[in-house]
Amino acid sequence: MADFSAEVYQNEFLPDGGTDVHAIVTVTCTGAGAAGQAGHGDAAEIVIVDTSGSMGQFNIRAAQQAAAAAIDQIIDGTWFAVIAGTHEARMAFPAGRAELGMVQMDSTTRTSAKRAVSSLRADGGTAMGTWLTMAARVFATVPSLAQKHAILLTDGENQHETPEQLTAAIEAARGQFQCDCRGVGSDWQVAQVRRISQALMGTVDIIPTGAQMAETFETLMRQSMGRGVASATLRVWAPQGAQLLFVSQVAPTVLDLTSRRQEVNALTGGFPTGSWGDESRDYHVAIRLAAKGIGQEQLAARVQLAIGDSVVAQGLVKAMWSSDDTLTTRINPEVAHYTGQTELADAIQEGLAAKAIGDDVTATAKLGRAVQLAAETGNDEATAKLKKVVDIDDPNAGTVRLRRGVDKLDEMALDTASTKTTRVKK
Amino acid sequence: MDDAVTQCPTCHVAVGASERFCEACGAGLSPTVGAVEPVPAEESMKGTPVPDDLGGTASTCQACGGEVSADGYCGTCGARAPRRRDHFSEQPAAWVAAVCDRGIRHTRNEDAVALAADAEPGSRAVVVVCDGVSSSVDSDLASLAAARAARDVLAFSRSRGMGTGLSLAAAVIARLEAAADAASEAVLEVTSKANNLAAVGSQSVPNPASCTFVAAVLEQDLLVVGSVGDSRVYWLPDTGDATALTLDDSFAQEQIAAGVPRAQAEAGPQSHAITRWLGADAPEHRPTTATMTIAAPGWLLVCSDGLWNYCSAAKDLAELVAQTASSSPAAAEPLALAGALVDWANARGGKDNITVALARIHPG
Repeated sequence: MADFSAEVYQNEFLPDGGTDVHAIVTVTCTGAGAAGQAGHGDAAEIVIVDTSGSMGQFNIRAAQQAAAAAIDQIIDGTWFAVIAGTHEARMAFPAGRAELGMVQMDSTTRTSAKRAVSSLRADGGTAMGTWLTMAARVFATVPSLAQKHAILLTDGENQHETPEQLTAAIEAARGQFQCDCRGVGSDWQVAQVRRISQALMGTVDIIPTGAQMAETFETLMRQSMGRGVASATLRVWAPQGAQLLFVSQVAPTVLDLTSRRQEVNALTGGFPTGSWGDESRDYHVAIRLAAKGIGQEQLAARVQLAIGDSVVAQGLVKAMWSSDDTLTTRINPEVAHYTGQTELADAIQEGLAAKAIGDDVTATAKLGRAVQLAAETGNDEATAKLKKVVDIDDPNAGTVRLRRGVDKLDEMALDTASTKTTRVKK
Repeated sequence: MDDAVTQCPTCHVAVGASERFCEACGAGLSPTVGAVEPVPAEESMKGTPVPDDLGGTASTCQACGGEVSADGYCGTCGARAPRRRDHFSEQPAAWVAAVCDRGIRHTRNEDAVALAADAEPGSRAVVVVCDGVSSSVDSDLASLAAARAARDVLAFSRSRGMGTGLSLAAAVIARLEAAADAASEAVLEVTSKANNLAAVGSQSVPNPASCTFVAAVLEQDLLVVGSVGDSRVYWLPDTGDATALTLDDSFAQEQIAAGVPRAQAEAGPQSHAITRWLGADAPEHRPTTATMTIAAPGWLLVCSDGLWNYCSAAKDLAELVAQTASSSPAAAEPLALAGALVDWANARGGKDNITVALARIHPG
């Protein structure tokens, strides 16, 4: 059985009249076990491969190998399917049946599935919304599923459906399954695919060339098979009359959860967190309270992790009003660190968006701020990726110049990595 | 209390290096003050647990009436629920009641009170108040154990000597001495349990648990009081002069005895240092006793320094009680009045734990 723990980092001291409480809550899971083994329902995997014409001979071959590598990582007994995506979605495996469906992994189905993916052909357009819609329908054919995960591969823009159609498909799929998305090459749009991965509680990243595809798929599937906790919810209780300003995952990646609130009761919101393996995630919670008198103490939030209806970990966020400036002005290092990292993600995305439309002034300012924040918070990966897009004159002041002739892949790598955070150095 | 003397960072009076709170202003002095971690709810609960009736927290929120969660905070408004030990009351009979409260500045309640009384108003009552010394560990446990042990001795024993006059007074004084012995034993037991838990010899505990002791025993019209330390008994008649029946064992009282005016002596930097107490490091603990015959209606008031700090002179206290009791008919009930006096001390700053015990007496 998995064990969860929660730790709270905050400065609970508020000055006279102070109202806003910020805290970082670290939730850690150990002993998660393997997907689908806990006896609370089965696990299922769908591999969604872009088979549009633009994939070409080389990338479709790489995609065949990548799908096979992913299939090799799926544990026996896990339900699975493969979808081939173009301007429409098609069942690649199991195929040949009138209705949609999944099969359970064993030596026979593994062999059949790998044979099926080896015959994928590149032909047609791209309509990712139809792929998501079919995946949701395929998962729905197996009632015993507790954990549903997909890997989506694309190589291009979503050309064969309107943005509204894609949005509708994403919203329909939200909460139905989790989806890690990968784009190969430089012809896909990071922002577009990130919308899918964020809505479906997955990750987004770039695969620079087809040669790295199999390794990426293998890793993604192994990680998914290591998530033995099918589904957990972050619950945040705030006192009557208080305002929950925001709830955001800040590590390992930045993901604002505020709008995903589902009411548990009038004072408690539930925020889905998907499945868990042996890992640690950090959440930034901000609450606005009615100010109390000096010397008074109250609870500002209970932050809990719940599996179904049972709470498996709890952290208490507190507020104490004090007249002692040495206490109230103290800055909590964890809160400061993640506030900076969240701003870093925004600065990179906004800087790159400005650069893409030729607004060099905004791009320079935003990316300069990003360089500054990456240096301040010790995010070396972000600094390394920023250096490929801008020339840094002074990292502390954030003065940079946009580089000319930047490799599109480097820019996309910076974009996809923008939400990855580093942890506080202890 | 031969601690090295340092200064309180808040009010700058001299304080012992191992004191956990400034006796003058109530500010926390422990080295952990200023750390982000709050005092754990059960910090003092090593060795001997708080008795079941005063363990844990109240189940209903005092601030909003909501239900208190297992984590000790209200499930509705988030207010920290007081531990039962932090605020409790006793009322063994309609005419005898006490309220014991943490106050505002201290993080735990080291005062304790224990009562016994016969139902018939003015017949027979026992009131014991103990004030734990905040420089010692587990004083909250020690004071409660001491007060209850003494109360049990006093409530059980009905020896009356020859039954009247001096002989009855002598018998009650003997009871009081036995009660102080029992209270002292209870304090030593807390220290001994703490020692066993720490797996070290009793000599190596730097600050063994200690507390004051004051007891008042009413046998019809005879009132006998005994005291060690600076908790007090006052007799506040409805008409006529109010009197303090105890003399503090304190540095301030020594100065008063030497001719320093009371207000000046009690405001001095070392004024709250007590010279006698119950505990492993106490040379002796024989209570100083006094007797009086009650001939007129009035209030018997037993309190810790958390109340008299704000109102020391008997005359002033009598006025305060009379004024508080006169606000409404209900306010003159012993429990309501004790609660109102605790609230009054908290409104003045509540810099120490506050205990107020009252018995309403209408002789003949």
